[in-house]
Parts: sequence; C-alpha cells; structure tokens
Amino acid sequence: MSLAARITTEGARMAEACTACGACVQACPMTRFAAGVAEADPAETASGMRALLRGDEASPVALAWIGACTRSAACNGACPEKLDVALMMRFAGMRARGALDGAPLLPVKTDSAWSARVKGFARLGLTDQEQAEWL
Amino acid sequence: MAVTHHPLPAERAVFWYGCNLLRHGDILRLTARFLEAVGVDAAPRGGPSHCCGSPTEQNARINEAMGRRTISAFNATGRDKVISWCPSCHMNMADMMAPETPAQFEAAHVTEALWDRRAALQKLLLKPVPVRVLLHRHAGFQPRVAVNDLVSGLLRLIPGLELVEEDEALPGHMCSALAGVPGALAAAHEANLAAIAQHGADTLCTIFHSCHREAVALERGRDISVMNWVHLLARAAGWEFLDEYKQLRNAEDPRTALDDGALARIGADVFTQLMEPELRRKPVV
Repeated sequence: MSLAARITTEGARMAEACTACGACVQACPMTRFAAGVAEADPAETASGMRALLRGDEASPVALAWIGACTRSAACNGACPEKLDVALMMRFAGMRARGALDGAPLLPVKTDSAWSARVKGFARLGLTDQEQAEWL
Repeated sequence: MAVTHHPLPAERAVFWYGCNLLRHGDILRLTARFLEAVGVDAAPRGGPSHCCGSPTEQNARINEAMGRRTISAFNATGRDKVISWCPSCHMNMADMMAPETPAQFEAAHVTEALWDRRAALQKLLLKPVPVRVLLHRHAGFQPRVAVNDLVSGLLRLIPGLELVEEDEALPGHMCSALAGVPGALAAAHEANLAAIAQHGADTLCTIFHSCHREAVALERGRDISVMNWVHLLARAAGWEFLDEYKQLRNAEDPRTALDDGALARIGADVFTQLMEPELRRKPVV
C-alpha cells in the first residue's frame, strides 16, 4: 500500500474509532498558540480534525490546531480510546498541506535551498574525507 | 539507573545522523567517536541523500520515495542496526518509512545505544566537569524513546557534574517544530531561562541539534553556557572540540569569524545567500 493510500485508509480507520470527545485538545500544550482554539469547544475542534481524516471539510479552528501541532504527544496519553492521536494529527497535517494532491488548506513551508544549505555547513564543519564517507 | 559491568559484544551498525546535524560537525564527529569507543562499529550516514522525507510532507508520493531510497540504502549495507540521532528521523522511520519499505535492520536511538554500553562509556569519563546543568527537555519524543531520562543518566556518569531536578518538559519533539509556530519558541526559551535562574544553573544542556541551534544565542549577554550533552561527555573524556556553529552564531560578524579558507571551501555564494542569513538572525529572546 502506498503512503497516500495509508494516509487515506488508516486515517479513516482511526477517525472511525475517534469519538471526538476533545480530551486530546484539552491535553494539548499548543492550543494557546493556535488562533481561536483555546476559546473553542474542544470537542468541536477534535471533530474538525476527524472530518479532515475522513476527507471532509475541516473547520477553521481545527485547521488552526493542526497547524500548531509540534508533536508533543500529550494527546496520546489523554485519549480514552487509546488512539495514536499524534499520528492522526500527522496524517491530518499532511492532508491539510496537500499531500494527497488536494489544494493546501494550511501554509506549506518549503525550503528549496535546504539541501544546498546543509551541504554548505558540511563543507564548513567536516573534512573532505568525512564528507566523502559520511554523506 | 545503576551502571552494569557486563561488556556487550561489538556490533556493526549505521549511525544515521539525519540532515541538519550537518550544521554541527563537532557533535556528529564526537558521537561517532563515542559509539566506536564503546564497541559499536557505526558507519555515519546522513545528509539529503539519506533523508527521512520530513521536508516533503506536502507530497506523499515524494515523501514515500525519499523514505524508500533511504531504507534501501540502509538495507544494502547489510548492517543489523540503524542508530538514529534525530527524533524526527526516528519517528518517521516507524510511522512513515518502514510501513512502506520493509527494513532489514533494528532501529535504535543513539541515547539507547550509549546507555546500553554505559559501563564502557563510564571508563572514558574521567575528567571532572564542574558545571550545574539544566537539561533542555521536550515532551514529544519521550514516549517513543525515554530520551530525557537516558540523557540524564548519561550526564550523571560525568564526575563533578550537577544536574538540577526539573520535571517540566517543553512542548513539541524539538525546537525546530516550535520555531514554526509564532510565539512558541520564545515561550520555550523564556521557560528555560526562568528555570536556569530558579535552580542556579550555569549550563543549559541541549539534547537535539535543532534545540542547540536555536538555544546557543541565549548565551549572548547572559552568564550561561549552552552545550550539547555530547559536548559534556567529550569534556569528561578529555576530547578536544570546537562548537563552530555557536562561535559563528554568537560572533558580531560571522563572516570575519570564519577560519582561514572556509569561505573558499564553502563557496562564497552559498555562505552569503544560504548560511549567513541564518547565522545573523536576531535571537527570539
């Protein structure tokens, strides 16, 4: 199964098991950095994330929450269904950034110079031999 | 965590250092040296050609292809274990890469590999390092690999080092994630500075490369030192190193702080356009 297919099928499976109780949102240390999430009903925010995993439309507050996810994993410990909510958020984030070819719903940060930049730092800090053997 | 005295047999592994650790050649080199010194023949592999795919999360097809290329390269080495440095790479291996491309190796984190061989490691750590350390902890990777506990344990092997007790962990899995959310990195730095003041620490010890990259500028105008855990182990082992990234990041003019010949080695355009803006960034706090 391709990664895209797994995001679709595994995401939908986890969404089916999710009750959107909002415990994950309440446990999240990042809600204060996500516009409107701290003031919103946690269950509605979770429901929006679940909708995105099903391929449905996500609410703006759910997108704000997904966009502020930094992989703290506090959600996993809070989930009464014992779901891997961090992975759900990851899949939701990938969907929201257009990983499945849909239009991005969240800003996509691309750094086309990333490879050249880290190689520049490698030339600064590693010997020629280290670069030849380790890169 | 008591130190065991049962030597483990030598093993052959890949030391998968990731991509962005290339900013810190000193940490990469020291870590590889420690692995070798405790009996792990760990071939360092990394850089963009061994990417976990995380820079391409906006495209599942490319993400998958990058992961497949990296796992195939590791499989081709015939080595039994891949020892990762980066938490993002480590989690991507489990969550994104291995489910798509079967891995013919065991995965471990470098802190686990060194902790497993702590008896051999401790024999190297003979020089006292009289510092009072606050560990820069994140919450996100800890459920996968108990990295906060493992690094604490490794630091406690160092004679003379005092580790302050602090249970609070920052959000996220490392600082690069926080840097993408407005206000989050500054809040993390403020929390660290408050804890340093509260505990009377003189050293902030980073665990991951991106945290080190973001935290080294905290030294400016403050009487604290920012060091990675590998740096502290190296000091205890009496191994020389230069934290060149920190030196450049905190220089008034990073260009003039480059060593002789560095600009020619790097390429003037690459330094000017890609590296210098990062080194000259204003600290967030």
